[in-house]
Amino acid sequence: MALVAPILLKRIPAEPAQRRLYRWADYTATGGYEGLQKACAMPPGEVIKLVVDSGLRGRGGAGFPCGTKWTFLPKDIHPRYLAVNFDESEPGTFKDRYLVEHDPHALLEGIAIAAYANRITTSYIYIRGEYHRQAGILEEAVAEAYAYGIFGRKYPGTDIVHNCYVHRGAGAYICGEETGLLESLEGKRGWPRNKPPFPAVAGAFAKPTIINNVETLACLPHIVLHGSAWFKSMGTPSSAGPKLFGLSGHVNQPGVYEEALGVKMSTLIEKYAGGVKGGKYKAAIPGGVSMGVLGTDQYHAELDFDIGKKYNVLGLGTAGVIVMNDQTDLVLALRNIVRFFAHESCGQCTPCREGTAWMHKMLNRIVDGFGRPRDFDLLMEIALSMGAMPGTTICGLADGANWAVRTFLQKFPEEFKARLKCGQVRGVELTATA
Amino acid sequence: MTWLVEDRLKPYAARRAEPYLTDAIKTQVAEKYFPRYPRKQAALLPLFHRLRQEYGYIPEQAIDETADFLGIARAEVQDAVSFYEEFRLTPSGEYVISVCRSISCELCGSRAVLERIRHVFGVDPGETTADHKITVLEVECLGACEQAPCALVNEDLHGHLEPDNFVRKLQALSAARDDQGRAAAPTGRTHI
Repeated sequence: MALVAPILLKRIPAEPAQRRLYRWADYTATGGYEGLQKACAMPPGEVIKLVVDSGLRGRGGAGFPCGTKWTFLPKDIHPRYLAVNFDESEPGTFKDRYLVEHDPHALLEGIAIAAYANRITTSYIYIRGEYHRQAGILEEAVAEAYAYGIFGRKYPGTDIVHNCYVHRGAGAYICGEETGLLESLEGKRGWPRNKPPFPAVAGAFAKPTIINNVETLACLPHIVLHGSAWFKSMGTPSSAGPKLFGLSGHVNQPGVYEEALGVKMSTLIEKYAGGVKGGKYKAAIPGGVSMGVLGTDQYHAELDFDIGKKYNVLGLGTAGVIVMNDQTDLVLALRNIVRFFAHESCGQCTPCREGTAWMHKMLNRIVDGFGRPRDFDLLMEIALSMGAMPGTTICGLADGANWAVRTFLQKFPEEFKARLKCGQVRGVELTATA
Repeated sequence: MTWLVEDRLKPYAARRAEPYLTDAIKTQVAEKYFPRYPRKQAALLPLFHRLRQEYGYIPEQAIDETADFLGIARAEVQDAVSFYEEFRLTPSGEYVISVCRSISCELCGSRAVLERIRHVFGVDPGETTADHKITVLEVECLGACEQAPCALVNEDLHGHLEPDNFVRKLQALSAARDDQGRAAAPTGRTHI
């Protein structure tokens, strides 16, 4: 079922001139913190059960069921932590920034509910370093929340005080990986950890830790207020609820739009983003560059968490849709994506550190007109060998590079093969219209 | 972040008697951040953000001082600080221009913006103009793809860049007299 009215974006009007920052007074005047109030009247176990029943899946990329993640916390071990993943660094993703810079208390209310349900000692909001202004907004909102007793209070019937702090990253994509984030939170380099132990057992400071995305937490007040059946009435059976989609690239009105999961990409592009700019649709990345690419014939793909199996991509990811028109040189587009991974690889696992750099060098060579016919298979072979899924790396960064390269090659083989013949023209600009 | 060890041949930095971690900074960090984490080491990122705001970069001497302050090995501090791109270990110009080069921005013309900056200011990414006003960097996604192409000028985001307009803006910044030095740079620095 489609969305009747905006839910997560209810305080952020579509018209840019009307958008503003909702502080404490504005937030509470528009139904803010009612969800928390209702949650605090329920036993914590009931809140967890409600979230499990709602079918809320993580909005940060993996789509792991949020309630299930909470149930992994071992009982009666304290302190325990909540790490809020606001290290939004995936190219094409800007939904969390957009939400927080207008409606920061929506996140804080979600944090308070998750903390109440799980008896969290300390919540750390890990915000990426480049979000300078947003970090300031969050700091102010957290201070307001402290002043009004949302944080810094004991849970009823316990001695546990819940605190919430903003922790700033400093420019590293890998810190968005959950264990990389924890390392960075501890003041170390953001190298992902081997699992197990999983963060729910030994996470931040070796204590039980939940890691949730900003948007996931922002869904909680609505679930508590309106119930799990209401939440499930939107979206598809396996992907319930509303979702923020960030559209960028070759569209006339790029921005963040909210729709029920399962919405067709063509609907998002035409109804919300004002259509494809500068030509016809050619390809799109469904949710951040690590998810791979949707082909020209997949324009009407339904964007939900099952998109991976249906359309041969890794998954929905962060739902940051990057649209490319028919003027786009996909070899250059892939080179840009692979360079991103080569640059952001943390260097811990050899297949990723070396593999991404090899692929970047090969694509540079192909762009320069010195590609060899066998480079097609070679690129594919390197790509398929790297990642946590083939079992050669610790974290999923290399899987992103793997899926980006493999789907570009699988879905646009002709475009790549044509560049691998002799006497090719050098590619210069990514798009003719740029 | 980078996993390449750069500047390996650089001579060891000159020391100065006056510490970079002043008592004021130490007190501020100890009061604000130590209670937040179960371990002192976790205050490393907040501390370096503070130093970055104070000095514009992380002086080498500050790494030693931080190790003493947090009670960890110098290598642990070096290990962490060298990982994060925002912590530059060398001084940069008054205005650091970080131009996004990721896919959405490149699709929308970030190359033209960068080329224009290179042409006008005569610097490649990573370099600083001779008058120490402008440092140009190429960075990965800034999380503002709807405003592509975009760039950070120090801590301020500039979106929907149009090469000529943006360069004119930068020229105006670099021509402005700044007698108060870095701390008075007219951009919004978030002090957290």
